[in-house]
Amino acid sequence: MRVNLSLSHWERGVWRVVLCLLGVLYSIAADAQMSTTAPAHPAAAGPAAGCNLALAGRVADHETGQLLPGATARLLETNDVSAADEFGNYHFHVCPGLYHLEISFVGYRPETVEVRVSSATVRNFQLHPDAVLLQGALVRGQRVAAPVPQATATLSGSALQATRGQALGEALLKVSGVSAIQTGPSVFKPMIHGLHSNRVALFNNGVRQEGQQWGQEHGPEIDPFVAARLTVVKGAAAVRYGADAMGGVVLAEPAALPDSAGVSGEGHLVGASNNGLGAASFTLQGTAKQVPGLAGRVVGTVRRAGSAATPDYRIANSGLAEYSYAGTLGYERERWGTELFFSQYNARLGLYPLPENARAAQRNTPRVAQDFTYAINRGYQDLQHTLLKLRSFYRLGERNGRLELTVAQQWDDRSEYDKFRPRNDATAARNLPELDYRNATSTAELRWEPKPWGSVSGELGLSGTYQNNTYRPGSRFFMPYYTNQALGLYGLGRWHPGARWLLEAGLRLDRRLLNTKRPTRPAGVFTVVEEDYGYFTPAASLGAMWDASPHVTLRADVSLNQRAPAANERASQGVHGGIYEEGYDISRLPGAPPLTPETARGLSLTASWHDNPRFNGEVTLYQTSFDGYIYQTPIPEVLSVRGLFPSFRYQQTDARFRGADLLATFRLLPVLTLGVKAATVWERDITKDDYLILAPADRAETWLRYEQRASAAPRRVSGFYAQVGVQAVARQARTPRPENGQDYQDPPAGYTLLNAEAGLVAGAATRHPLSLSVSGTNLLNTRYRDYLNRYRYYLDELGRNVTVRLKLNF
Amino acid sequence: MKFTTSPAGFTLPSAKPLLALLLSLPLAFSACSDDEPEPEEDAELITTVTYALTPAAGSTAPAATITWEDLDGAGGAAPVITGGPLTLRANTTYTGTITLLDKTKSPVANVTDEVATEKEDHLFFYAPTPAGLMTITRTDRDANNREVGLTTRLATTAAGSGSLKITLLHQPGTKDGTASTGEADVEATVPVTVQ
Repeated sequence: MRVNLSLSHWERGVWRVVLCLLGVLYSIAADAQMSTTAPAHPAAAGPAAGCNLALAGRVADHETGQLLPGATARLLETNDVSAADEFGNYHFHVCPGLYHLEISFVGYRPETVEVRVSSATVRNFQLHPDAVLLQGALVRGQRVAAPVPQATATLSGSALQATRGQALGEALLKVSGVSAIQTGPSVFKPMIHGLHSNRVALFNNGVRQEGQQWGQEHGPEIDPFVAARLTVVKGAAAVRYGADAMGGVVLAEPAALPDSAGVSGEGHLVGASNNGLGAASFTLQGTAKQVPGLAGRVVGTVRRAGSAATPDYRIANSGLAEYSYAGTLGYERERWGTELFFSQYNARLGLYPLPENARAAQRNTPRVAQDFTYAINRGYQDLQHTLLKLRSFYRLGERNGRLELTVAQQWDDRSEYDKFRPRNDATAARNLPELDYRNATSTAELRWEPKPWGSVSGELGLSGTYQNNTYRPGSRFFMPYYTNQALGLYGLGRWHPGARWLLEAGLRLDRRLLNTKRPTRPAGVFTVVEEDYGYFTPAASLGAMWDASPHVTLRADVSLNQRAPAANERASQGVHGGIYEEGYDISRLPGAPPLTPETARGLSLTASWHDNPRFNGEVTLYQTSFDGYIYQTPIPEVLSVRGLFPSFRYQQTDARFRGADLLATFRLLPVLTLGVKAATVWERDITKDDYLILAPADRAETWLRYEQRASAAPRRVSGFYAQVGVQAVARQARTPRPENGQDYQDPPAGYTLLNAEAGLVAGAATRHPLSLSVSGTNLLNTRYRDYLNRYRYYLDELGRNVTVRLKLNF
Repeated sequence: MKFTTSPAGFTLPSAKPLLALLLSLPLAFSACSDDEPEPEEDAELITTVTYALTPAAGSTAPAATITWEDLDGAGGAAPVITGGPLTLRANTTYTGTITLLDKTKSPVANVTDEVATEKEDHLFFYAPTPAGLMTITRTDRDANNREVGLTTRLATTAAGSGSLKITLLHQPGTKDGTASTGEADVEATVPVTVQ
């Protein structure tokens, strides 16, 4: 059988050529004559002689009243500038007349007022902190991402520090609206607003993570220690990041390379009680004195854990062993810069030996009891992900903006060892993985950011992907051999019609070609089925951001996205980690059409209250409607010679997601904050007028946090905080009726957990500050299961866990 | 090429060829693959389970055989049971023999032989439902004098009907005569009638 959807071999070749062309384009750009236009230095016109009226005032912070020495006052008419002195005072001597006075300071929103001067005039200012700019100040040297009309959340600094030692997907659970599909205690797959896998794009240091990300039990192969900040875009960002970003984006970004001389670094140590987890990570970075602009960094991490413990028993074979390392070398000049990044992630994750017979899922006691051990036995995943990236930018000159090229190559090897040892002793001695996927992906992206034209700015981008997925010859089929080629062209425009408004519009068109080759055995004879699919998929978005006041920002975003089905959704088949899965096209009825691209129409509204002394918060409401939503649903257990396996098949239906996220903090006392976080999502199957399976249950969390007041004088111990919180998750009552996908068990009961953490910094003012924190989760050792854990049929979640974290800067 | 301006006078004379090389490097790894999937090597499929029963000498009962077969492995076409239900006579004793085959191989692989050579690591279980429908006893032993179950004695009493679950556990190094360890290589259930 050969389905050929009008794709010539020639056409397939073209996409690869285009990738090369991107490289050529780059060379051309880099070779372009560098114009050396001198930056315009407007000559400061001095005050006219004889004019000696004083115009002066004081600049302070609106919230704290703190004076702002160094703030800049500028008379727009004369271009005269005065910097506020140590008491926050500015002053001018001017002629009588009408002036526009602009006050600005880093981290604050600039203000411009009209002043009529006929005698000596005093005008004071209270500036509002600017959240976006403040972030920019924290990540010195990093290019600040333009504010997006979608809700975004960032984990950095102490919030990120509190997640050190956890897997990436687990760390992201801190963000309201983000959940995770779990497979046992160590695999976390991020889920944003109920969407996951092929709908959430992960970017590791600016490169889209490509590998075996389709699998629900495949955690992201990223070492979170490499990232200095984790950003989650909650909502469709497909125009900028590609069709796979229709549900959201996770950006793991390292800090900018150092620009000051010398060698510095940081070391992390993490230990956890529950599973004996130990993690150590070291970062060393520096600049070359002899070569200005040259900087580098290396990061190395090891992580090891033994059997995890539920309140009643240890989970057999739940250990993990992980090591990863990364290196960056950057060279930057005034006009251009280039950065080479290499990283490798290696992990072995033990998998709980699922009972062969699916009906054993009903039994609640684990069949395999175990004492604590670090040993990892069969039933494990061996992962290796290697990334090589080269990113370069070039400023085209005053008029033409900035060009950026990123090329990257990724290799993702995933070996899955069944718990079954081969029956034949000779084969068993070779100890080969039963499933052995190999994936290689080349990506290239060229972005052009023209110079802003008045209040209008934007970017244009062209991106290409070539992906080749195979498995070790002779190993078992689960994923087909496939090649995936994508070429996308996008444009994003932003318009600031005044200081309070931002409008953004974007368009994208992707061409994606998928070729799959899979083995089949009709009547026992081995044959290969080859299928080709090609689609144009568009994406469009329109967003607005409005600062209703210095403390209230409203965001609205509408989007249209289309995504071509991935290889696993079409043509995967087999038993995989004790669960049988099959793609839609495998078992579709004869004559039935194959999967079609899914189309999503999204709307989201976000209101945030920020920079207030007491009450701050954010509410997001969203709705996404899908035509042809592709999802996995349980089917009657597939019978094999080894018994019955829990079985899932991809289906396609029309669906509608509606949900809300809430985050609010209230400062009860200057040192005491009360916080609340909640999320709900309602997933409906429109075609069947029913709920969809595997929607995150409603959840809420509240906490009380004490934070030591900041003091000007250096102290031995500073930044002390202590927090106690309660997390409640309801039982998922919104599940499909039995005829629309009978789950193997009813959703587990709701649960409430008690968590606490505390931390401090010793010697903050010294050159070697030491951060120490202790956090405890599930302190009451509550027995519970979570609906989003694929092992919920068999296993309880973890019991009490106390984690100690140390971080030393040097 | 103008990569030659820096205050320190540092130059990158070979920057362009270097860049070109770096840019083309990733693409070289992704040459279009015309590879095709190949059959599994050492695939240890068991496609066919046959339980054959011969009445004890002197009985007039006919011999009985039942076969459980799934030629395409998990998924795809459902397993097929031929010779079912396994029809036995009441108050009769039979000698049972089990055969495991992999029919995806050419010639057909006899997995029973493999199990026989690794008897010390394998154990069969025969579990009738209802439990009183018949009594099945393993009649062969391994080198450690533990039962195996490649051959069995089956005794029926009253008439009735139900099912028989045949399980083969692989217990490398851990076989102790119980079902507490190991992994199921076979778990096949067939219908049975005693009349």
